[in-house]
Amino acid sequence: MNPNEFDVIIIGGGITGAGTQRDCAMRGIRTLLIERSDIATGATGRNHGLLHSGARYAVNDPESARECIEENMILRQIASHCIDETDGLFITLPEDDLGYQQTFVDACRQAGINAEIIDPDLARRLEPSVNPDLIGAVRVPDGSVDPFRLCAANMLDAKIHGGQVRLHTEVTGFIREGDTIRGVHTRNRLTGEQADYYAPVVVNAGGIWGHHIAELAGVNVGMYPAKGALLIFAHRVNNMVINRCRKPSNADILVPGDTVCVIGTTSTRIPFEECDNVAVTPDEVTLLITEGAKLSPALESTRILRAYAGVRPLVSADDDPTGRNISRGIVCLDHESRDGLKGLITITGGKLMTYRLMAEIATDAVCRKLGIDKRCETAVTPLPGSEEKSYEAVAQKIWESPSTAQKAAAARMGTRASRIRTSDRHDEALICECEEVSVGEINAAIDRLEVTSLTDLRRRTRVGMGTCQGGFCTCRAAALLAKAHGSVEKERADIAAFLQERWKGNFPIGWGDTLREAEYTQWVYKHVLGL
Amino acid sequence: MKFDTVIIGGGLAGLTAGLSLQKAGQNTAIISTGQSALHFFSGTFESIEEPPQQMQRLFEEAGIRLHYERGVRLMPLGTFRESALSLEDIDIFPTPKIGRKALIINFMGYHDFFSSFLAEGLQKQGLECRVRFINLPELEKLQLSPSEMRSVQIARAMDRVWEKVVQEIRMLLKDEDVVVLPQVFGLQDTSVPGRIRQGVPARVVFAGTLPPSVPGIRTQMLLKKRYQLLGGSILMGDEAVKAHIYENRIHSIVTRNLDSHYLEASHFILATGGYFSKGLVSNPFQIYEPVFGLDVEYAEDRNTWYNPAFAEDQPYMGYGVKTDGKLHAVKDGQPIDNLFVVGSILGKTQPQFGSAAGLAVRSALAAVDEILRCTQNDGEESASNPLSF
Amino acid sequence: MKLQEYTSSKGNFEECMKCTVCTAYCPVLQVNPLYPGPKQAGPDGERLRLKDPYFFNKALKYCMNCKRCEVACPSGVHVADLIQAARIKYDTTPPKLRDQILASTDFMGSLARPFAPIVNGVTGLGITKTVLDATLKIDRHRTFPKYSGRSFEGWLKRHRKEQAAFPEQVAYFHGCYVNYNYPQLGKDLVKVMNALGIGVQLLDKEKCCGIAMITNGMSQSARKHAEHNVGVLKKAVDQGLKVVTTSSTCTFTMRDEYPSLLDVDNSAVKDSLLMATRLIYEKLEKGATLKFRADYHKKIAYHTPCHMEKMGWGIFSEKLLKMIPGVEFVMLDSACCGIAGTYGFKKENYEASQAIGAALFSQIESVNPDIVACDCETCKWQIEMSTGYPVQNPISILADALE
Repeated sequence: MNPNEFDVIIIGGGITGAGTQRDCAMRGIRTLLIERSDIATGATGRNHGLLHSGARYAVNDPESARECIEENMILRQIASHCIDETDGLFITLPEDDLGYQQTFVDACRQAGINAEIIDPDLARRLEPSVNPDLIGAVRVPDGSVDPFRLCAANMLDAKIHGGQVRLHTEVTGFIREGDTIRGVHTRNRLTGEQADYYAPVVVNAGGIWGHHIAELAGVNVGMYPAKGALLIFAHRVNNMVINRCRKPSNADILVPGDTVCVIGTTSTRIPFEECDNVAVTPDEVTLLITEGAKLSPALESTRILRAYAGVRPLVSADDDPTGRNISRGIVCLDHESRDGLKGLITITGGKLMTYRLMAEIATDAVCRKLGIDKRCETAVTPLPGSEEKSYEAVAQKIWESPSTAQKAAAARMGTRASRIRTSDRHDEALICECEEVSVGEINAAIDRLEVTSLTDLRRRTRVGMGTCQGGFCTCRAAALLAKAHGSVEKERADIAAFLQERWKGNFPIGWGDTLREAEYTQWVYKHVLGL
Repeated sequence: MKFDTVIIGGGLAGLTAGLSLQKAGQNTAIISTGQSALHFFSGTFESIEEPPQQMQRLFEEAGIRLHYERGVRLMPLGTFRESALSLEDIDIFPTPKIGRKALIINFMGYHDFFSSFLAEGLQKQGLECRVRFINLPELEKLQLSPSEMRSVQIARAMDRVWEKVVQEIRMLLKDEDVVVLPQVFGLQDTSVPGRIRQGVPARVVFAGTLPPSVPGIRTQMLLKKRYQLLGGSILMGDEAVKAHIYENRIHSIVTRNLDSHYLEASHFILATGGYFSKGLVSNPFQIYEPVFGLDVEYAEDRNTWYNPAFAEDQPYMGYGVKTDGKLHAVKDGQPIDNLFVVGSILGKTQPQFGSAAGLAVRSALAAVDEILRCTQNDGEESASNPLSF
Repeated sequence: MKLQEYTSSKGNFEECMKCTVCTAYCPVLQVNPLYPGPKQAGPDGERLRLKDPYFFNKALKYCMNCKRCEVACPSGVHVADLIQAARIKYDTTPPKLRDQILASTDFMGSLARPFAPIVNGVTGLGITKTVLDATLKIDRHRTFPKYSGRSFEGWLKRHRKEQAAFPEQVAYFHGCYVNYNYPQLGKDLVKVMNALGIGVQLLDKEKCCGIAMITNGMSQSARKHAEHNVGVLKKAVDQGLKVVTTSSTCTFTMRDEYPSLLDVDNSAVKDSLLMATRLIYEKLEKGATLKFRADYHKKIAYHTPCHMEKMGWGIFSEKLLKMIPGVEFVMLDSACCGIAGTYGFKKENYEASQAIGAALFSQIESVNPDIVACDCETCKWQIEMSTGYPVQNPISILADALE
C-alpha cells in the first residue's frame, strides 16, 4: 500500500487538528496531520489558557455557555494533567452595575453552570489578590488549561493509535480531480522537500490560516482575523481565575497558569497579512496593565515576563456575507453540500475549550464520508498522561520521596513521568532551572513528541518559559538537541532563533527586571559564550 | 565614618579604583551590593587593544597574571573571537586553526560546557576532534545534587584532584596536539592551570563554561584580597541608598546597613554598573540613576530603547550617566565636584574609554588620576587616619 | 504610584536574574549534596510553591540560614529569608526532642547553671557524649559550652549601684551565652563602657533571642520570645536608653529576623539596638577616648561571623581592633565556620560542619595569630575546637588592652 495514502488528511496542528486526528485515529481511521509550523503555534497557544466554565458567555451566547460547561466537565476527566481546577470569580467593582450579577447568575444556571453568589469577604479570603474594593462576587467552576500540553497529548494519542504527523510542512496546493479533492501537495519548510499525500477526505483545521487553505481549494470561508493581546506575569499572583461580572470587555480575565498568570485580552480586527507576525503595541500593554490592575491591584507592581498576541479565527455565518453576525460558536462546513467540492471539510470557529466537541463533529462528518459507523470515545478516554487524577498521586507512585523537580515533572507529564523514572542519575540534572525541567524530561519529549527546535521543545516542556526566559537553559537544551539530531551547526542557529523569539515577547514590556534579565542574557551569549 | 574616598560598586571598575587609591596612600572603602559582574567574566578584557601598564602592574601585584597578544580565542560555543589582553589561562592564537587534532574533555553529567559545539567549531577549522567524558570519584558526590553540578563546585573539587585529571588526559591522549578543557581550574589554588599545562604533553586550551566564571571569581577574590591587604574596607552586601549633597559636593552617603551612620569622604566614585547591577534603573517612563538622582542620557520615547533584533546592539545599553569632561557626575545640569562616575554606568557616553572591561579600567584609572591630582593641588588633608580620632 | 513604576515581590524573589552567584557562596552546597542550593530552594522554588505548597521540598531544612547567599546576591534577593519563610509556612514536621533541647538555650541554661560543675563534668565526660550521640544524635565530637556557676545577671545586679552612678547609661542585651556560659564577656563590656564613662544596666528580663528556635522549626515559640523581647527593649528605649549587645547573631535576629521571618514589628526599637562595637566606635568618633596599655602586643585575625557579614557591621569591629596601637590586624577571608548555631551540634551535620569550616581553619593556621577575634559565640566554640587557637570577642580584646 502507498505510504502516502491515508483515509483522512488533517491540515493544522492546533488543538482542533490534533483533537480531530485523535478522534479519527481512535475510530480506526488512518490519519495524517500536516502542520506548517509546530503544534499549538496559532490561536491554540496564544490565548489565556482559560478552562471556561461558560459563565462568560452565559448572558449573550447561551449555546456556547452550555458547550463550555459540558466540555469543562469532560476535560477534567480526560485531561487531568493539563488542567488546574482553580475555580473562578466574577467580581463586581464599585463602578460596575451590581444589578447585572443576578442576570448573570440566572443565565449561568440556565446553561447548567454552577454559579454561586458569595460574600465579598469570602471572595477576599478565597483569593487574597483580588481587588479588595469589590462589592460582589460569584464563584464559578472556571479553571486553567495548558494548551501546549493538551495539544501534545492529543497528538501523542493519535500517534499511539497509528496516526502520522508531519510538522513544519506546508500545504502548497490541493490534488484535485474534477469536483473532488484527492489529496494535497506539501513542502517541508525546514528541508524544502516536497511530497504529495492522498486521502478521500481532507479536513481543514487551519484556524485563521484555514481561510487561505480554503482559497487554495477554490472555496471561500468568510473569516475575520481578530487579534488579542495578553501579558504574562512572572509568577502566580492569583490562584483562582478572576473575571469581571459585566458584559465581556477588554483585559477582564486574569488566569493563573502553571507558574505564571496571564491577563487578557484585547480584540482588534487585523488584515490577513499580519496574522503571521502579530506584535503587541505599547497602547495594548498600557490597557492590559491598567484594566488588569482593577482585577488584582498587585499587577501594578508585579514583574511582567512577556507580551504576546494571538489571532482568533472568527467566522461569519454563511447567511451573512457582510460578516456582521460573527459567531464564536463552532462552524463545520461540508464543502460538498456547501460548495459542491467533494472530499473537503472545514472545522473552525469555536474555542480551545470546545476543541473536543469540534473534533467530534468533524470526525462524525469524516465518518459519514468514509461510511464508517463508530462511536466517539474521546469524552470518556483519558489522554496519555491523564490516567491519574492528580500530580501528587502520579509522583507518589513513581518516587519514594520526590524532589521539587520530580514533582514538577509529574505535574507537567502526568503519568508519562514514569518514562523518566528508570533513567540514570545524570538524567536528573536540571536543564531549565526556573521551571525545573530535567535532562530526562527533555529527552522524553525529544523521543516521543516530534521536537525539531528549541521553540518546539519549549511548548512541550516549558523549557525557557520561566523567569530567565532562556538565559541558562537555551544552550544546555541545544546541546541535548544537537546530540539527538546530530547537528551542532543547526543548533547554533537554533539558539539564536530561540533567544530572538524570547526577546520578541520581552521588549514590549522591556523595563525593570525584565530589561536587567535581557541585558544579562545578551552579555552571556554574546560576550561569554561567543554566539 | 570618614574616608578619603568612598567607592560605590565593587566590580572591576570599583576595585581598580580602590586598589589604585589605596596604593597611593588613601584611606578608602568600597560598598558592594553583592558580588559583581566579574562572576560572568569571559577572561578577556574587551576593548583594551593595548596593554595599559598601570593596570597590568595593579593586577600582577594582586597575583593576577595577564598576557597580551593580538589574535583570536576559542569561545565556549565553538566560535572564535578577536582578543588581546586576557587572563593567563585564556589562550590567544594567531589564527583559528589552533592545531591538528584536538581532544576535548568534559565531565560526566556536566551540562555547562559545550563539548559538541567546541568539536564542531574546531572541525570547521580543519581539526580532527575527539570528545571524551571523564568521571572521578570526587565528582560523584557532586552528581548526587544534579542541579548543582556547576563550574564553581567542580572547581572546588579540582583544586584538590586536578592531578587525577592530568592522569586521565595522559591516558586518553593519542596523537592530539591540542587538549580542550572547561575553565574549572584554579579557583583557590591559582597555580593549577599552569601545572596542568606542564603535565599534559599537548597544548592545553581552557574554554569557558556557563556562569559562574571560575577565572572571573578568582580575579575578583584576588583583587579584593589585595585591596584589603592594602588597608581598604569592603562593605559587602551593603547598598548606598541616599546622599547628602551641599553646594555641588557630596558630603556623605547613607547605606542600607549602616543607616544613621553616614559615610563621609572627600571624594566619591560611582561604579555601580549597568542595568543588571542596578547602576541604572528603568521603568516604563524613564531610566534613572537611583543613588544620587544623576542626569542620565537616554531617549524619552521608550519604543526607541530596543532593537527588535536580539543579537544587535541595543540602544538602551548605550544610555548612561552624564558627566563633564573629567568624569564628574552631572546632576540637574550641574557637575558635582567630588563625585566621579566610572565603568559601565557610563554606557556609551564616553566613547573614548571603550566598552565593557576597557571602559571599567580606563575610566577608573582616569578618575583616580583626577582625584589624586585634586588632592595634591588643593593640599587637601587626608581626611581620616583610621588609627586616630 | 504610576503603573509598573516599580515592581515588588516577597523577599524580592522576582529580582532574581538566575545568575547563580548565590550557589557559589553557599557553604552547605559545597558539602551536602542533599541540599538543593539557595537558588533552587529560594527564588526558583518560590514560584512553584506559589503555585502549590505541594512543591515544597523538605530538604530546605539543610539551609543553615547563614545568609551568605543574600550577601553575595547582586540583585538584593532575600534568598535565605525565602527559604526560612517557606520552612516556617510549609514544613509541618514537628521538631525532634534533640532539636527542642538545642533550641531552648535559655531554658537549658537556667536549669543547668545552678549545677554547673556537675553539668560541665557530666557533659564533658566521654560516656555522656557517647550517650548524647546515640540517644539524641548530638555529635560526640562536640565540646558542650561550659555553664558558669554564677549568672551574669546576678553579677550585674550586685554592681547595680556603681553602674547607676555613671552619668550616661546603656542597657545591655547579654544573651544566653553571656548569662549562663561566659559572664566574663559581659564583665569586659562593662569595663569598656565604664572606661567611656557609661554605666551598664540590665533589661527588664530579656529572653533568648530565639534564633535557634527559628532554625529548629519552633517558630511559634520564637515568636513569643520575639514579642517579649521587643516589649522589654521598648521599655528601655522609652527611657531614652540605647541597648547594646555583644553577639552578632542575637543582634541580627532581633533587628532583622523578627520582622522578616516572625512578623514581629520591631520598628520602635530597631534603631536603638546596636552592637556595642558600633556604639563604642561612634563615641570615639565623636571625641571620646580610650587609653590602651603600651605593652599590649598581639597579632589578631578577625573572622566575620555570617550574621555580622549580613548585618554589615563588621567594619566597626575591624576599625576598633585596628585602632589598638599594639595590634597587628589581619582580615580573614569572610567564610562560614560551619557551626551555624545549633546546626553543627547535630550528629547528621557534624561532618558537613567541619568541612565547611576547613578553609577558614587552615587560613587561621597559616596566619598563626595570637588571638582570633570574632563577635559570635558559636563561631568561637567551633574555631577553638577545630583549630586550638583562642577566640575572643572584640569587646574582650578592647577590655584586655585597656590601661
